[in-house]
Amino acid sequence: MCAAAVDFGLGLRPEHYEEIAASPGRVSWFEALSENYMVPGGSPLHWLDRIRRDYPIALHGVSLSIGSIDPLDERYLDDLKALADRVEPMWISDHLCFTGLRGLNVHDLLPLPYTEEALDHVAERVKRVQDRLGRRLVLENVSSYVTYAASELSEWEFIAELGRRADCDILLDINNVYVSASNHEFDAQAFLRAMPRERVRQFHLAGHTHKGSHIIDTHDHPIVPDVWTLYAEAVRLFPGVPTMIERDADIPPYEELLAELDVARGIAASVAREVAA
Amino acid sequence: MSGTNTGSLGDLQRAFQDYLFRSSDAFQAAVRDTKKADRVTLLDVYRDGYALRLIEVLTNDYPGLMAMAGPADFDHVARAYIAAHPSRHPSVRWFGRDLADFMARTAPYDKAPAAVEMVRFEWTLGETFDAADVAPIAADVLLALPPDAWETLTFTALPSLHRRTFAFEVAQAWQRRDEVEPGNLEVDRADEPVTWAIWRPERVSSFRSLDTDEAAMLEALVAGRSFPELCETVAAFTGDDQAPARAAWLLRTWVEGGMIAGFSSRAAAG
Repeated sequence: MCAAAVDFGLGLRPEHYEEIAASPGRVSWFEALSENYMVPGGSPLHWLDRIRRDYPIALHGVSLSIGSIDPLDERYLDDLKALADRVEPMWISDHLCFTGLRGLNVHDLLPLPYTEEALDHVAERVKRVQDRLGRRLVLENVSSYVTYAASELSEWEFIAELGRRADCDILLDINNVYVSASNHEFDAQAFLRAMPRERVRQFHLAGHTHKGSHIIDTHDHPIVPDVWTLYAEAVRLFPGVPTMIERDADIPPYEELLAELDVARGIAASVAREVAA
Repeated sequence: MSGTNTGSLGDLQRAFQDYLFRSSDAFQAAVRDTKKADRVTLLDVYRDGYALRLIEVLTNDYPGLMAMAGPADFDHVARAYIAAHPSRHPSVRWFGRDLADFMARTAPYDKAPAAVEMVRFEWTLGETFDAADVAPIAADVLLALPPDAWETLTFTALPSLHRRTFAFEVAQAWQRRDEVEPGNLEVDRADEPVTWAIWRPERVSSFRSLDTDEAAMLEALVAGRSFPELCETVAAFTGDDQAPARAAWLLRTWVEGGMIAGFSSRAAAG
C-alpha cells in the first residue's frame, strides 16, 4: 500500500455495500465502525472481508471509553484485537471521551474535564491499550456541548499533551472542532494550529445541526461551508493527511457522498496549488 | 456532587452518568452556562440524546413491534425498557436483547402477549442475521453413507438455527409490517401454538412453520439423538410403519433447506 493511495475515503455503511463492491476504485479507502463488525458472522463480516479485498480499511471505534474511570474492558480489547487481526487496518481510532461507567455504556461520546488528573489517567490507559494492540492508537477530538468548571487546560492543550505523553496519534475531526468552537466560543483556527503536525493521522468531515444557541454533531447533513473553510486551513497546516466523510443518519445515495468527497479533493488540490505557488 | 473529592474525574463522571439516567441533577453544578445557552439546555443535549439514541436502536431492531404498537406506545415501552435495562455491552447491537422478557413480566406490556411474541420473533431474526458462518451440508454426502452408518448417525444444526413456538401469527404479520400505518398491524391468534424454525442458510435469514412431528424430530436432532431415535420420535405421530420414510423425508427437507451443519456416525468414523 503506497502512501499516495490513501487520500480520500468514506465511512463504510451497509446501505452502500453492493455499490462499493460493484464499482471499486472510486475512493481510496474506507473507515469501518469497529463495533459493527464484532459479531460472530453473517452479512457484516462477509461485506467487510469482501470490501477489504479491494480497499485499505481503518477501524474506528465508539466504545473504547479511554477516559472512563472504569477498568479497561478486556473483552472489548480482545474482540478489537481479533477484528484487527482479521482486517489488518491501516490504523485503529476511537474517541477522546468516556462512554460510561459501573459497567454500563451510554453509547454517547461524553467529554472529559481537561485537567491534569484526567490527562494522567487517559495517558496511562492509552499506553496500556497501545501495548495490547501492538500499535499506536489514534484518538479523535469529540464535539461537546458542556464546559466543565473544573477544566484547567484548553481542549487543544489537553490533546497535544496527551499525544506527547502517551505517544498516540490524533484523528482531527474538523466538524467537531467547528462545533465545539461554536458551542464554547473558542477560536477554531487556534485549535488547529495547536495540533502537533507529526501526530495528525486522519481528518474527519461531517455535517451537523444548528439549534440556534448551540450546534449538535448529528452526521445527518452535508458539510456546511464554514466547515469546508476550516478544512482548507487544516489541509494547509497538515498536508497529505487522509480525509474521510462520516454520514450516519439520513444516509444519501453513494453518488452523493462521492460528489461531496470531490469537494474535499478540490479544496485539497486548491490548497496544494496555493502552497506550490 | 458532594464530599471532599468534588470535581475529581471520578466524581464528575459519576455525576454525568447519573444526570443521563435522571437519578440526580447535581452535575448541573459542574458545568458552565455559555453566552448563548444555559447549562440545562446544553446538558439536555446529552440527556435527551441518550434516550433518543437507544429508542432509535430499538426502532431498527423491532419494526414489527412498531407496526403493532405505533409510535406513541412504542416510545412508552422503549423508555421503560431503557430505564430498566441500561446497556451493558460495548455495541448497541445487543441492547434490545432483553426486551421480550422485560415486556413479558412488566405491566402493562404483559397484557399484550402478541407484542411480546413479535419482539421474540424479531430478536431471533436478528440473532440469525450475524450468527457464526457455517456452511450447510449437501444431501449427496448423506446419500453416500453406508446403511450401517445410519444406525448411529447424529447431526448438528447450523449455529443460526432457532426454534420458537408462537401462540400468535407473528411471523405472518411481520411480513406485512410495511404495508400498514404504524399501530395498525393486526396479529391473529393461531388455532394452536406453532413452532417455527428460524435460520440463515447463507447470508439471508429464513423462517418457516414446522409440522408437529417435524418440530418434535428437530428438537430431538438438536438434542443429539441418533437417526433411529429420530424415527422413534416421529413414530409417536405417524405410527411405526410410516416413521422411517417420514423421518428421512424431513431430514432431506432440512438438509436441502440448509439447516444442517454436519453429522457423525460411529460406523462412518470407524
